[in-house]
Amino acid sequence: MRINPSSALLPELQRGKPVSITVNGSPMDAYMGETIASVLLAAGIRTFRLSEKTGEPRGIFCGIGLCYECLVTVDGVHAVRACVTPVVNGMQIDTGKGLDL
Amino acid sequence: MSARYDLAVIGAGPAGMEAALIASQAGVRTVVIDSAPQAGGQYYKPLPEGFTAARKTAAERDGERLLGRLDAAPLEKVFGALVWGIFKEESGDGWVIALSGAGVPGQISARCLVLATGAYDTPVAFPGWTLPGVISCGAALTLLKNQRIAPFRRVLVSGSGPLLLSAAAHLIDAGVKVVAVCEVNPIHLGAVGYAPVMLREMGRLREGAEYFGRLVRGKTPYRMGWSVIEACGADHVEEAVIAKVGTDGTPQLASKQTVIVDTVICGYGLTPFTSPAQSIGCKMEYHSEKGGWIPWRDQRMQSSISGVYIVGDCAGIGGAENARLEGQVAGTAVAVETGRLQPPEAENFYRHVTPKLAQQRSFGQLLADFFALPPNLISLARADTIVCRCEEITLLEVMKAVEAGARTVGEVKMITRTGMGNCQGRMCERSVAGAIVKALEPNAISAADVGRYTPRPPLHPLPLGSFLEAEPKPPKQTS
Repeated sequence: MRINPSSALLPELQRGKPVSITVNGSPMDAYMGETIASVLLAAGIRTFRLSEKTGEPRGIFCGIGLCYECLVTVDGVHAVRACVTPVVNGMQIDTGKGLDL
Repeated sequence: MSARYDLAVIGAGPAGMEAALIASQAGVRTVVIDSAPQAGGQYYKPLPEGFTAARKTAAERDGERLLGRLDAAPLEKVFGALVWGIFKEESGDGWVIALSGAGVPGQISARCLVLATGAYDTPVAFPGWTLPGVISCGAALTLLKNQRIAPFRRVLVSGSGPLLLSAAAHLIDAGVKVVAVCEVNPIHLGAVGYAPVMLREMGRLREGAEYFGRLVRGKTPYRMGWSVIEACGADHVEEAVIAKVGTDGTPQLASKQTVIVDTVICGYGLTPFTSPAQSIGCKMEYHSEKGGWIPWRDQRMQSSISGVYIVGDCAGIGGAENARLEGQVAGTAVAVETGRLQPPEAENFYRHVTPKLAQQRSFGQLLADFFALPPNLISLARADTIVCRCEEITLLEVMKAVEAGARTVGEVKMITRTGMGNCQGRMCERSVAGAIVKALEPNAISAADVGRYTPRPPLHPLPLGSFLEAEPKPPKQTS
């Protein structure tokens, strides 16, 4: 979930303007500056894709764009790294797919 | 933008920013390249565009000052650009850097290189580590500090080193229940000899003490010599098993306990990201206390290849302050090499920076001694544990390859396909090396003997179109 604790280590902040996106066809709360991973996690979606060989659920892991576990489909394009890709207005995100290249 | 630069700096974290600042201010024609949309790297990562904070932490203010200086410096910035290959120029003695990203040039040429590609959390394979809800320390800190997202309520933090304390403290500040912090290392109490080094790093000690204070107030146990040994759940983490771990890395199953958590945050130290350096043939050496394989360098941060400098955590884990100093040295050396700075001026600077670097290295050695990982954490994995997450290769398959005669990481790759997936082996190299070492015990063999994967371009998976855009050459004329 989104937090704003106003603590010593995590001072209060203001998110960016709302942006309009869909996840698996449904509109989803999202704010400018958030990554796709943040939007999905804030909505309680932890499985971003299924592994190619065994279909096991996979989600965010390294968080810095190196492990490629968090791949999602964006506007029909496969294999976008959710952890380092910011959301933009009009984005259509699909989760839970294999790579299907 | 298409002309040749004197210097291309790859990575705009603390090390790369300092190198670019010093070189460009001396008159070196400099370009800085980073895959992120903004400079900062992981340590000085600024809040995303659109976010505004009521107040900034000390590290955020430091980072802001550095980013401000970078903005004012006479250099070019190419951000949002993934470096997928570095090639020798066909004519001349420089380098061609191949890039992928929206609106970035397909390639950039430069005479000298500074590689400042940073590091990542050392991945450790254990049963259940592929489940959603097992995330790295870096991922947790980025979500909390940079995004203010807390996709967890009850968390186990496991691994080794000071980053665990940072992660736990941020979690507690965010109102998340941290059920335990497992530090796999039974910390040595031989700290007395380090007292002078520690006293000169009071800032960092205070930071550590503040983090630890939060653990105490949050009644979070800090368990030394313990580690997560399994994460369980149907579609995501629902519970985790922790146990004491011997100094050889073997879990002591008699001690195991189950904790109810929704997330396991793992950080077993950091691994230098060396693929770019390795791919162009820089000589590498194995130093476990610096994070494993690192490039050989001379005193001026130059690699075994003339004109290629390597700085910061990708050349051995040393932290942000060390990275900044190394960046300054490399930037100065490039300014001399390109004729923009007289050697005596450079010598003056080196004399000024050498004692500071020595202090940083002593502190780095202290941390390395305190938090030396058990030699072989592959013992946490079971036969059916996935070692290579991308190709879904289990430990059993790796062991069979070793039985069939594989003696190096490269040979296991050829037999099993480990390391051939999207991450290019970054997530499994250490596990595969550990598995070979363990299988061949008690023969005198170490991680240094079993080698590593050979990274080749593309260093990141790319859509095929990127290659077409990168090589807009006219067809050859045939007669």
